[in-house]
Amino acid sequence: MEEKKLPDVLKKETSRRDFLRGTATAAGGALAISAIGGIAPKKAEAQYSVQTAPGTKPYAQKYRFAERQNCTGCRSCEFACSLFHTGNVRPALSRIYIAKYKDIVDVPVMCWHCDDAPCIAACPTTPKAIQKDAKTNGIVLNEKICLGAKCMKCQEACPAKYIRGNPDTGQPLICDLCGGDPQCVKACMEQAGNPQGPCLQGRPVGIGVNMAFRDVTPDQAGKDLANLLFYPNVEGKRVVPAKSKTKKGR
Amino acid sequence: MATPKGGNFGKVLEIDLSKQTYKTRPVSDEILQQYIGGRGLGAYYAVTEYKPGKNALDEDAFVFVGPGPLSGTMAVSHRTCFAHKSPYTGLMTHAETGAHLASEIKFAGWDGLYIKGRAKKPVWLSIVNDKVEFKDASKMWGKTTDEAHEMMVKEMKDPEIRTAVIGPAGENEVPFACIIVERYRAAARSATGMVFGNKKLKGFAVRGTKYAVPVADNAKFLAAARVNKEGNMQGEAWEGIKKWGTGGLMELKHFLHGSLIVKNYQTTWFPDVVKIGGEEAMRTFWKRHAACTNCPTHCLKLGVLRSGKYSGLVAEGPEYESGGLLGSNLGMTKFDEMISLIEACDALGLDNISTGGVLAFTTEAVEKGALKPTDLDGLKPKWNDGDTYMEMIRKIAYKDGKAGKLMAKGVRAMSKEIGKGSEAYANHTKGKELAAHDPRGDKIRAYSYTMGTCGGDHHEGQGPQALGMTAMADSLCICSFTNFLVYGTGTDKIITDMMNPLCGWNWKTEDYWTTAKRIMTTERVFNVREGISSKDDRLPIRMYKEKLPAGPRKDAIFTDADQKDMETRTYGFFGWDAKGIPTEATLKAYGLDYLVADVDAAKKKYNL
Repeated sequence: MEEKKLPDVLKKETSRRDFLRGTATAAGGALAISAIGGIAPKKAEAQYSVQTAPGTKPYAQKYRFAERQNCTGCRSCEFACSLFHTGNVRPALSRIYIAKYKDIVDVPVMCWHCDDAPCIAACPTTPKAIQKDAKTNGIVLNEKICLGAKCMKCQEACPAKYIRGNPDTGQPLICDLCGGDPQCVKACMEQAGNPQGPCLQGRPVGIGVNMAFRDVTPDQAGKDLANLLFYPNVEGKRVVPAKSKTKKGR
Repeated sequence: MATPKGGNFGKVLEIDLSKQTYKTRPVSDEILQQYIGGRGLGAYYAVTEYKPGKNALDEDAFVFVGPGPLSGTMAVSHRTCFAHKSPYTGLMTHAETGAHLASEIKFAGWDGLYIKGRAKKPVWLSIVNDKVEFKDASKMWGKTTDEAHEMMVKEMKDPEIRTAVIGPAGENEVPFACIIVERYRAAARSATGMVFGNKKLKGFAVRGTKYAVPVADNAKFLAAARVNKEGNMQGEAWEGIKKWGTGGLMELKHFLHGSLIVKNYQTTWFPDVVKIGGEEAMRTFWKRHAACTNCPTHCLKLGVLRSGKYSGLVAEGPEYESGGLLGSNLGMTKFDEMISLIEACDALGLDNISTGGVLAFTTEAVEKGALKPTDLDGLKPKWNDGDTYMEMIRKIAYKDGKAGKLMAKGVRAMSKEIGKGSEAYANHTKGKELAAHDPRGDKIRAYSYTMGTCGGDHHEGQGPQALGMTAMADSLCICSFTNFLVYGTGTDKIITDMMNPLCGWNWKTEDYWTTAKRIMTTERVFNVREGISSKDDRLPIRMYKEKLPAGPRKDAIFTDADQKDMETRTYGFFGWDAKGIPTEATLKAYGLDYLVADVDAAKKKYNL
């Protein structure tokens, strides 16, 4: 299933580890995967009909999923997120961000909305300053209660090392799923330019997704991705052909 | 002096490397409305601050690094422009690059960086929001572009900084050294790397977290930006660019257009292109697509070599220009060797295009006996010899030996030095090597090479209108792939619709064209002051003398009639006289009265 949507350029021997990750992907996203075809469509929405088929009610996107190798690093998710939450384009306030690994791969770093939410468990205030919205599954911050920069217990607890501090207030930037209609997913789906399809997708169920991904830090994800894509240069090392023979040219 | 209502902050960061100080240079809304930003604003600063004949390597010479008003907004805009006087050609010049640098400069609260002065010891700049730090670059000096980038990331402890650095080529003041932005994107063709090297500036890193671009009327602007983006997402022609980058054009231009350059423009027919073009890259090399900020057209392709001498080499390309100049132009038939040449140029901070031009010219000079291996430290360059070319690139970057010092002068100076009829195949316009489009097969490209401000540049606009639209795109700092190449002549409306709510202006579509012509004419006046006129707006001799020997455009040649037609149409469109000098009426119509005296003085001085 996973194999079908890879174009020739990416077809290569799959290691056991990648295969396992691939299956985790498929389990979480069985619904949407079947809808993803080959090359980018003229109108992205038409193809990803699971969410927007006419006459059907779009389902609540309680979990998000990232097909990391499809990320082009365009950061339209950051733009859409900060615009929605602050009214301005300011990626430093985005609740999702793109981390670069050795400048050869881009990793979307985002909240996996873990069912056990270690961040909420770690929050020391009573009542909790961050709480899960039962309806949308988004994590909502109560700015009045949050202790901000001096606490950041949630940041420490996050297994994905996702949470960043707001540069203005010091409080954590945390994902509320935009009340059930995540703007980042929309922006990514729309651009959907990468011939393999978009990177971000929203799902009603998250079985397998958050468990498979949540323990992977951005750095580790970058390493994995570089390993996956840039074999045999599995380290993502730069091989510079023309090194200086003389120390100084003149 | 009105402060801008939106789109700009009205402040440019002025950095003095000599004194190691920085200050805010205010810029008024009136000036921004006339010159926009990026290339236009750089031209305005140069033409008002420089006297004719200014040495581009003077201590107080500046480089203007400009994002545009649309950078960092929901519009698709991600280019950064480096505008300055070129020490290579002696003319006004501008180099654009993609990646994420432009929006980061905006988020740091600046409309541009104006860098002048010269440091005593190598420095690099860290710009975090309002704060600038001058940091010691002595450990970075001599490092390749990617190593320098990594060191900056490490020192600032922030992987999200955006950098622009020079490589060893820039440090050694090779005139076609470029700036490399975030490892794979180059602001090239303008000797910007040489100017940075002369200023002892290894590069700068920017991080912006504090500001958002102000918008005068958010709702209206977002709607207009939406139209702009949708046009990009749905443009069917761009499916090709998304999938193939510009590398796919290599086969297309070869088999259909007859304009792929081969062996120093000797022909356009090179069936071996299938071994080095986009098809081959797609099959064996490319691994992922990468995009600039907020751009749906992800044209950058990254790949890895999986076998051969350079196994494991991660590189970007081939693009049409890099694959053309360092591939077919050198007769390369081995994909991995071509990619290694491209990567070497990126790592050393050399302009792919000019380097390819120099290598091909040297090879032909050796073939024709004008140069001997003894002139080249014993090197015997011949077509398709990747190893020798690699060594030549290294020599150029380090100005190593006799060969390095000779080749690092560029084609014009080389042919002048070696003589022996080499002028006949010295392919440059106004002292700059041509890009990978043979103007005999692709006649409209001649506009870009000859009529554009920089000379020899493939990205100045094909045709009079396109020259204007490119001037606007480079000043707005929008990529042509997401701008006029998508919208054609409808671009004026798309841009006006965005600019009015963004900046609170009252533009009509005519104002778009007036501004375009004003920017082009300002740059032209700068060049006229340096002695440029229609006599310089010419292609290399080969294009007028030798017919294409094979290919889809067999027997094509650039005739005098073609030249005449091109001059008439371009000069007519911009309101310049038959010698390509802006007339007094034109200058006054564009509000450039302050340049009338300059033009008169130049006319007298150069007998125009």
